[in-house]
Amino acid sequence: MNMLEIKNLKAGIGDTEILTGLSLSVKPGEVHAIMGPNGSGKSTLALVIAGHEDYEVYEGTVEFFGKNLLDLEPEERAREGIFLGFQYPVEIPGVNNAYLLKAAVNAKRKYEGLGEVDAFEFLKIARETMAMLDMDPSFLKRGVNEGFSGGEKKRNEILQMAVLKPRLAILDETDSGLDIDALKAVANGINALRHPERSMVLVTHYQRMLDYVEPDFVHVLSQGKIVRSGDKSLALQLEERGYDWVRQAANA
Amino acid sequence: MNAISLQQDLLEAAVTALPPDELSAVREAAVSRFAANGFPTTKHEDWKYTNLSAAAALSNSWLQDKSAQNEAQAVAIDTEIPEQIDAHWITIINGIVDPNSLSNLDSLIDNGITISRLAEGVAEGSIALDDPMSAFNAALLQDGLHITVADDSTLDKPIGLLIIDDGSVAVTQVRILIEVGENAKLRVIECPLSGGDGKQFANSVTQVALSDGAKLDFVRLQQRQKEHWNVNRFSARLERESVLNYNNFDFGGGLARNDIVADIVGTGASVQIHGLYLAAGRQHIDNHTRVDHRVGPAKSTEEYRGILNGRARCVFNGKAIVHAGADGTDASQSNHNLLLSDQAEIDTKPELEIYADDVKCSHGATVGQLDKSALFYLRSRGLDKDQAIQALTRAFASAILSKLAIDECHEYLASALDRQLDALIDEE
Repeated sequence: MNMLEIKNLKAGIGDTEILTGLSLSVKPGEVHAIMGPNGSGKSTLALVIAGHEDYEVYEGTVEFFGKNLLDLEPEERAREGIFLGFQYPVEIPGVNNAYLLKAAVNAKRKYEGLGEVDAFEFLKIARETMAMLDMDPSFLKRGVNEGFSGGEKKRNEILQMAVLKPRLAILDETDSGLDIDALKAVANGINALRHPERSMVLVTHYQRMLDYVEPDFVHVLSQGKIVRSGDKSLALQLEERGYDWVRQAANA
Repeated sequence: MNAISLQQDLLEAAVTALPPDELSAVREAAVSRFAANGFPTTKHEDWKYTNLSAAAALSNSWLQDKSAQNEAQAVAIDTEIPEQIDAHWITIINGIVDPNSLSNLDSLIDNGITISRLAEGVAEGSIALDDPMSAFNAALLQDGLHITVADDSTLDKPIGLLIIDDGSVAVTQVRILIEVGENAKLRVIECPLSGGDGKQFANSVTQVALSDGAKLDFVRLQQRQKEHWNVNRFSARLERESVLNYNNFDFGGGLARNDIVADIVGTGASVQIHGLYLAAGRQHIDNHTRVDHRVGPAKSTEEYRGILNGRARCVFNGKAIVHAGADGTDASQSNHNLLLSDQAEIDTKPELEIYADDVKCSHGATVGQLDKSALFYLRSRGLDKDQAIQALTRAFASAILSKLAIDECHEYLASALDRQLDALIDEE
């Protein structure tokens, strides 16, 4: 069974259709890269899978291990094992990082019929993961993303992913706005989480992230649907020839 | 609703019927003062949004049906507060001081603290009649507390005031007088509670005098039931280098009106006022504050925050007046509100009146809803909607909780806040 099965998905905001019939299958353990020019619908796809209420689904299906994802609330999708790494992580002053991490872990454990996480064990895992991502432990006590730099916010997303251990991670432009050191730290974090049972969808505008995280498949999104799929060499071709090449191919 | 006023003849008859005691003269003077104005109505600018008609009607029928004499009965009520907050507790029931709770505190005289009942006597002119509701309070006054702190004295623990209206009396008056001597310190926690259901009206006045270098930390945590109406006045006079740190938490009550007044008459004085109100259902909470900067330099900081749900109606009116010559004044005030429902309403008006040249003043108010993107972010991490709303409202409220003047009540207040937020969100 496929992990994620999207068929003919049409979705948008109000009357504006952004995804115009998108299909995608992801099997356990696979890493897919979704590339495309600005406005092609990459972030919309990520937010629709996560259940953002601003987006309406007009047609098509999205299934996660055979379960209709579109019937579930965002929190239920998260507890099923879907994680969205935000392009623009939200600053939430007054809610501290440690609280959020722990509440998220416990929400999932409760859903799975498990007891609350051991506080000592939780702190240990959080600290180890932060060390791997080159994050200062003091970030745990700070408000969620409050006053974080762009790079710190993205590292924080990877930290949450690493602690939550999702089955499917959708990382929306996690590489954007990162300098080379931050990009490497984030890529290390992503690679450390690659697992035969865990899949990833990397949404990205540029090829450079894929130098560090090697995808199994690359898809090109244009005007709301996938117009070309291939292996990692497709990303290099895109880098050389630019998005006009696929746009032309799509219109042809 | 037509304005219902308090019937003066009923008040006079009730006051006359009270047995003579140490407060007879206070009551008689107050009755005639009260007659001049009666209860304020919504025609008064300061009472535009808060209608006391129901409180006046309840007072009329109570004065007519019963003797106005209040009794302190033994009540079994929320005794968990004194257990949870380490303080020297005094219980006031229906406006009458429980003598047992007071006798435990005789030894505080060794620390320079005296606490006496107003029923045992009060110096002439010490009961202020600054506004109509203070006059009404004094007209029916039968007891209260007078707390003094001698120069340079401090106390190990806060004084706790457990103020209980048990429901056997419809209308109660509480008056607290506090005097803090030079370079002395006092901390007070006031917890008004309801001991019974049904309609009740509590009218309380606290008068504070801070001498040079004195410091008072005062926390009021009001958690009364939904048919309990509260009018509360707190006024303080600040001499040179004195400090007032006032916190006001309104979590309950069908109606709560607070008038917080600080009069800065000494240079170098400092006033901090922080308030938090949570209102749901048809609750009505009105905070009026006024800080008079009569001299400078001196500093006042004020912040109120509110979280409203259901059809709650709240009012904030904060006024800072910088009088002529009060140069070096630093005054700021702000009011922030979170509305969780379309039908909740807030009227907010921070005001500055400045008659001096060299001042630093700021004010601001905001009214908003929960940040939808923050809500989605939390839910996308697996928190259910109510839990996410709880986290966001808690974060909003924590800006006031972090200013809490008295550490001893932090734990209790934090859990009361969580309980109250859960109830408020559930109401949706």
